[in-house]
Amino acid sequence: MNARQPEQLPLTRSSVLAAHDVIKSRAHRTPIFTSSSLSAGITAGNNLYFKAENLQKGGAFKFRGASFNLSRLSHEELQRGVCTHSSGNHAGALALAAKERGIKCFVVMPSNSSQVKIDAVRSYGAEIMFCEPNAPARAATLAMVQARTGATFIPPYDAINTILGQGTAFLELSEQVPEKLAAVITPVGGGGLLAGTALAAEGTGVRVFGAEPAGADDCARGLEEGKRREDVDANTIADGLRTPVGVLNFPIIQEKVERVIVVSDEEVIEAMRLLWERLKLVVEPSSATAFAAVRNPAFRELGIKGPIGIILSGGNVDMSKPLPWVVL
Amino acid sequence: MNARQPEQLPLTRSSVLAAHDVIKSRAHRTPIFTSSSLSAGITAGNNLYFKAENLQKGGAFKFRGASFNLSRLSHEELQRGVCTHSSGNHAGALALAAKERGIKCFVVMVSLSAKFSLVFRLPCMSYGAEIMFCEPNAPARAATLAMVQARTGATFIPPYDAINTILGQGTAFLELSEQVPEKLAAVITPVGGGGLLAGTALAAEGTGVRVFGAEPAGADDCARGLEEGKRREDVDANTIADGLRTPVGVLNFPIIQEKVERVIVVSDEEVIEAMRLLWERLKLVVEPSSATAFAAVRNPAFRELGIKGPIGIILSGGNVDMSKPLPWVVL
Repeated sequence: MNARQPEQLPLTRSSVLAAHDVIKSRAHRTPIFTSSSLSAGITAGNNLYFKAENLQKGGAFKFRGASFNLSRLSHEELQRGVCTHSSGNHAGALALAAKERGIKCFVVMPSNSSQVKIDAVRSYGAEIMFCEPNAPARAATLAMVQARTGATFIPPYDAINTILGQGTAFLELSEQVPEKLAAVITPVGGGGLLAGTALAAEGTGVRVFGAEPAGADDCARGLEEGKRREDVDANTIADGLRTPVGVLNFPIIQEKVERVIVVSDEEVIEAMRLLWERLKLVVEPSSATAFAAVRNPAFRELGIKGPIGIILSGGNVDMSKPLPWVVL
Repeated sequence: MNARQPEQLPLTRSSVLAAHDVIKSRAHRTPIFTSSSLSAGITAGNNLYFKAENLQKGGAFKFRGASFNLSRLSHEELQRGVCTHSSGNHAGALALAAKERGIKCFVVMVSLSAKFSLVFRLPCMSYGAEIMFCEPNAPARAATLAMVQARTGATFIPPYDAINTILGQGTAFLELSEQVPEKLAAVITPVGGGGLLAGTALAAEGTGVRVFGAEPAGADDCARGLEEGKRREDVDANTIADGLRTPVGVLNFPIIQEKVERVIVVSDEEVIEAMRLLWERLKLVVEPSSATAFAAVRNPAFRELGIKGPIGIILSGGNVDMSKPLPWVVL
């Protein structure tokens, strides 16, 4: 039988809880970090709680969605392996999740992918096919892989199981903090993490926010215009956020996310430096985007009183280059 | 009464346990990190457990010794404040520990105009310490410190060569041994002044855990002193591991001689490679000094010991000058 077993879960908080039950033995329950100096820098004096998903398997939260996706495949599907297209964290996450289960993984990566990401995917045992860095070439190469192997395509963010998996980070965060959160904020690229967080926060009273860089602000603009934007300039240092928001993710964000705060790359870089210097954590610019948003006047003007959760999405940084704040 | 209360504790494991009881409400119980890829890189397949003291208050393990020292001062001594000389982690640690107790802190720092680093000065200032600068030589430092003490009556808290400092630093190992899910075969720490290594060696007494030190080749006074059977008073200090540039202290050396199995010496290249691996795989910001301990575990000299079983590595700190390119970056 090739029917996908079991049935597709609905997009609800209960489904996120179910997803967590499934993946909690596989994903790290990443720690929460606090910093009196970083919290003091926020005008309202909110306690900040950082969920360190840079410490997740594969170095980013994406492992959650990848792992949950794999748990939903049939035996036959697992035998044929999985495939995806990604130049970023999803590639590594899927490769690692697949390796842990002893199944094959095929990754289509653009030829201009960073060597660090390529090496990571390879070290996790995945087979890499390179393609020209454009969408048609990527789609064609992926189709070729599927035709050859019969592998199941696991999308990077625009899929129910991916969204549910990503939402498990918020569940843990809310269990781990010693006080009730007033708000939570995550970066938004494809929107899987933000949508998953919004589902997981449903009915908890925790206000949900997103953070986007100005050079890739398709989500914020889409929310203003009331319609998902299909294109994005992708002109930002936050390499993990260069994709447009997904078709499934956007309506969830529209309905449940209070606001997406837009920040400049300068703000992102400053926030990133603060996180490295004060938390002693290696985090990507994408992660720093969420912290930059909390420091931004637009967020302060909301006047939120109470603790704020910030999901630091990943820490896969190309460290062969000078860090973005270094003046040579 | 100006008598120091209470009595000085002896240099034993029990004293380290007592020190831990005192400081555990103030210092962070820093987490343990593991990494299958880093552990797999070690030939014998030893599980590595990294004690992340870079996540300690002030960004380094030194907070432990500073905090314990302050807990031993009398009320009158606390009123007059504390002072020290340090251009590194001890300065910030003492300043922070003092600030938390609402007491004054005076720090004498070396002013190196050409390569003046804000990494330690800014935190010190933000912790409320008063900083006095001096020329980069021992007589100038001693004179400035004496001046401060004459002016303020502040108590001098030494960076590493003091019983209470050693006992405080040893508490890191106590936590490590409680936090790991299996019994350690060995533990390794970097060695500069030797406070952390000596404290660890005391804390490990009677546990069966073998204790090792790690030193950079450009500041290998401890390793050479152990070979020669005599503490060396000078050190070249020619290493990227800025926290390890001091010679081993007078109190620390005999403890290390007696209880530490060996001090492994590594090159700066090994240190930099180890540092990069820790940043990339553990996603932790750690100083070169911390990476020295991990570099030692990867070094053939350590592998030849053939230690079977889990190894604890104390990552001593994470105060890095990030305004400069990282040491492995080729421009």
